[in-house]
Amino acid sequence: MHYVTFVLFGLTFTWFMVSANSSRRVLAVTVAGILVSTMLFAPPLAEAQGGLVQAIQAVLNVINGMLKSALTAINTARTALTALYQNSVWPVQLINQARAQVTQMINQYRALMASILNMNLSSATLPTPQSFETMMRDHRVNNFNSLTQSFGNTYGAIPTSVDASQADRDMSDMDDALTLDSLKTLKASDNATDLELQAANSIENSATQAAPGSAPFMTASAVASSIRSQALTQKMLAAELRQEAAHIAHQNGFRKRGATFTTQFRNLMMNLLQHN
Amino acid sequence: MKCFRDALKTAKCWVVGHKLRAAVLGAVLLVVAPWPAKAQFVDPCCAIMAAGLASISSALQNVIGGGLNQILGVDQSIQQFEQNTVWPQNLINQARALVGGLQGIFNQIQSLTQIRVNSATLPNSQQLEANLLSRNANQIGQTSSNYTTLYGQVPTTTDASQQVRDMVDMTDAAAQDAMKRAIEIDALSDLELQAASQINQSIQSAAPGSAPIIEAQADAWLVRANAYTQAATADLMRLRAIDLANSSADIKMGATNSTNLRQQLMNLLQHN
Repeated sequence: MHYVTFVLFGLTFTWFMVSANSSRRVLAVTVAGILVSTMLFAPPLAEAQGGLVQAIQAVLNVINGMLKSALTAINTARTALTALYQNSVWPVQLINQARAQVTQMINQYRALMASILNMNLSSATLPTPQSFETMMRDHRVNNFNSLTQSFGNTYGAIPTSVDASQADRDMSDMDDALTLDSLKTLKASDNATDLELQAANSIENSATQAAPGSAPFMTASAVASSIRSQALTQKMLAAELRQEAAHIAHQNGFRKRGATFTTQFRNLMMNLLQHN
Repeated sequence: MKCFRDALKTAKCWVVGHKLRAAVLGAVLLVVAPWPAKAQFVDPCCAIMAAGLASISSALQNVIGGGLNQILGVDQSIQQFEQNTVWPQNLINQARALVGGLQGIFNQIQSLTQIRVNSATLPNSQQLEANLLSRNANQIGQTSSNYTTLYGQVPTTTDASQQVRDMVDMTDAAAQDAMKRAIEIDALSDLELQAASQINQSIQSAAPGSAPIIEAQADAWLVRANAYTQAATADLMRLRAIDLANSSADIKMGATNSTNLRQQLMNLLQHN
């Protein structure tokens, strides 16, 4: 672009210079040429070299000042965070100590408590009650028929319709039924208790090798086990409620029948006195 | 060629004839002629820029790079600590496996609670027993009629005094309440067992960060379960309180009856 402009300018300037007739014209063409060439070929303003140095220095200042300070602060914070994690939140020494304590408590208590729980509590002295006692405490759920049989041997059968009124037979049957229901529920509960203890042992065993990050799984599972344990306790309470309710219902039945018998007796006496 | 030679000759003549013009023309053209740009390597401006860039590069490497490397070192040590000590993947998997193993035990417990324990042999007692062991809260409506069929109704005003009738009715009410509560509690405990299994299954697929949320939910269920246990215990205590009150009432009524009997005997003896 510059070359084209230069050629055009050169040709035009030369033509005007050649065709100038007088010294005045030569002077005018020369002045005009200089002015035009100044406008056409004026170099762009050069930037001061001092501005570039200042800009580089400014960048260096930012790097050595603000960025360096920020990085140092981040590094300090991260180092402090590491120290906090390792020394205060999850100190390895205390984690190992906790694991060791779990192991130590397992060794101290588990066998002792198991031996206490498994002590033989049987107390019956005669053969029939002995058999019944053994059966109701055996933690088994597959011998309910034998339990019923053994209960019948110990406490007798329901009176026949010849020996007792229907009301007595019904109440007696209900009492026996709820007693047996409770005993069966307790055999199942005993079995469930064994399983609960097994679960507790498994959780405790795992705690000996747990990490802070894996412990919440065990805690959550232990809480779920506690819910189950509560549910089983409720089942036992429900059985006891039925049993106690039947007990006072039975006593109340006697009261009702007492009232009926009294009325019947009074009527009999009245009839007897009237006949006399 | 000849024209060109003539033109040169003419120009030479003009230059010789117009020395001043030719000098001005040559000077102006020389000044405005475009010159090639200077190479940047030898430009002092570029040298300063190169030195500046080198300084910036050095600062970036030493200050920024060094600082970032230190932070990286700290972060790597945190990562290693968390991976090896706080959340080791193998121990997390081990804990999940434990939860899976416990689920088997819990299934056994749940099946134990489903075993039928019905034992009555006569129709009326069988009916009441079936109702009591139903675990179905919708069957609570039939409890009272089954109970009355077996244990009889409250004596009529002809057969018993109002005091006895009240006592009998209250005792029946407490017994029936307890039986109904027993059905409720059975139904609730079945639901609790079901919920506990769901929670246990959730734990198996949980992350260390989400397990505490499940644990919180399980804790809430435990609180709820405790409340149900308390409700059942309360009914048991009410039952025993009514039993005790009945024993006391028997003594009170016995005393009243004795006084009445003595009074009547006195009257009888006086008439004779």
